[in-house]
Amino acid sequence: MNYVIEKADLPNWLDLLCKKARVVVPAENDLGASCFQEFKGQQLFLEARTDFSPRKFLLPAVEKMFFFRKKNFSYRIEPLGSKEPTILFGVRPCDTHALHALDELFIRFLGEDQYYSTRRKNTVLIALLCNKPCSNGFCTSMGTSRPVDHDILFAERETDFVVSPVSEKGKNLLHKNFFKQTKDPLPEQQLNCEKELLTEDIEDNLYNNFNHPVWKQESERCLSCTACTQVCPTCYCYSSDDCFEFGSANSERARFRDSCQLQRFSEIAGGHVFRKSRESRLRQFVLHKLSYYKKHHNLQLCIGCGRCIDTCPVKIDLTEIANTIQREALK
Amino acid sequence: MIAPETPFKAKIIDVKQETSEIKTFTVQFLDKKQQKNFFFAPGKFMMLSVFGFGEMPISISSSPYKTDSIAFTVANVGSISNALHQMRKGQEIGLRGPYGNGFPLQKFRGKNLIFVAGGCGFAPLRSSVYSFQEKKQEFKDAFVFFGCRSPKEMLFKTDLKQWEREEKMHVLVTVDEPTPDWKGYTGVVTKLFNKIDLPVEDSVCLLCGPQVMLHFSLIGLKKLGFRDKQLFASLERLMHCGLGYCAHCNIGQKYVCRDGPVFSGEELAKMPLRED
Repeated sequence: MNYVIEKADLPNWLDLLCKKARVVVPAENDLGASCFQEFKGQQLFLEARTDFSPRKFLLPAVEKMFFFRKKNFSYRIEPLGSKEPTILFGVRPCDTHALHALDELFIRFLGEDQYYSTRRKNTVLIALLCNKPCSNGFCTSMGTSRPVDHDILFAERETDFVVSPVSEKGKNLLHKNFFKQTKDPLPEQQLNCEKELLTEDIEDNLYNNFNHPVWKQESERCLSCTACTQVCPTCYCYSSDDCFEFGSANSERARFRDSCQLQRFSEIAGGHVFRKSRESRLRQFVLHKLSYYKKHHNLQLCIGCGRCIDTCPVKIDLTEIANTIQREALK
Repeated sequence: MIAPETPFKAKIIDVKQETSEIKTFTVQFLDKKQQKNFFFAPGKFMMLSVFGFGEMPISISSSPYKTDSIAFTVANVGSISNALHQMRKGQEIGLRGPYGNGFPLQKFRGKNLIFVAGGCGFAPLRSSVYSFQEKKQEFKDAFVFFGCRSPKEMLFKTDLKQWEREEKMHVLVTVDEPTPDWKGYTGVVTKLFNKIDLPVEDSVCLLCGPQVMLHFSLIGLKKLGFRDKQLFASLERLMHCGLGYCAHCNIGQKYVCRDGPVFSGEELAKMPLRED
């Protein structure tokens, strides 16, 4: 059974949800960039996919792991971590696939990563279908234009949303005051992305062309600004470090998002950097997205949102690099 | 449930100055039961925390047959190792692990073991040499090739002397910068390979050392007739988790922490070891 909610009622419903959990919605920040924020009555941004993904609500930029408290020359280790229930509203299908890919690594593959999985299990995912393809997106090539693992699915119409609850957890959130039952089906959209990525055997073809000239050619203008890894919804690589509290001998260990586009990412003690050239770092980014992850998990880590292409100040295009190699390999 | 990133407390029970920059720390878990149940395969590594400074991956350099304590041989090259070097007997560090695969010594039974070590890279190999010593009857001979910067920078001097005297063990050491009183070999470690009659059949090579040394040692050994499946090298990469999440140690389709740190020559041939 589907439901409808009037567009005017949406903020009121979100207000109601705020009493139960932290509600996160797409909205514009002071700089005009669309991103996910905690809902505090602000205007929602539902026109298109956001510039930033909701990644930071599951993998925060900085995350405290433990506290080391020193007492009588001995340390006590106190684990930290968040159990705050979170409702993510307005997550686009590509971003639900991003969470699906992260779940694979952090929950299913190696045993659970406590920090990620606690947060993920306390998260309700409300997906929102796309009406139109976005500028640099290529979700139709990656098979990510339909959502996965969501609890509720929203589809926009002129004056209302058609809502389809998927899980029990999601169904419980649909309050009678706002949601009316309907027999309308979810509006069927056919997205036609302009961009295309040739995905056939891409993991092997890219890896076998490790020294293809396209890597050098494209990386020559790379600024190592790390914008691609900042906006990527699936960039999960991190570093950890201890923060010392001056005055006491206490300290805490935190992990923070790191970027493979920096030299320090592959620098070992003693100063040897394994990926010194921009070429090798750009290749690491693209191959991790399109080759390595697929080999290990049989899932593409790139979900075709096109954010890295949108954001790159020198217009390096992941699909162009991959397609150049693919066109030669698939001949 | 405890997160796998949580370190367990351990106490430094002994510090030994190996060279001016390298110390061996012997530690014990504070929890006696944990220490009693502790075991590891030679070549594995642990994540060692210095509280307030951070965590680093360090190979175990003690014998797998002597697990009442664990030894780490650490060079003072970074901020965390520097902090560790300031620590004294009785102080506390954090430990978790062991991680990684280690050398598959079980598969090497009945063979000659050829150890090729460069500088501080001797540390992960020492536990394998100890294993050989312990179970000599199961193997043929052991050849230890060790290259270091100068006689002063030589690690494990007492061990080397002991091994030289032992049956079935052949120890060859070379230095890059000899002192006037140095009577041994000079030059890089690959120069040692033709100083002794090396049996190629029924032999396996275990390597660890800096990237350049590994590169040329693998080439040198292959020239002598060793095949890829006889070569096993332990690699060094930056690691922040040791569990396979942080992706710092990613080389091609492998992760050094969860697929390594020991890789066979067959695997190494498919890995982009020199990416720069």
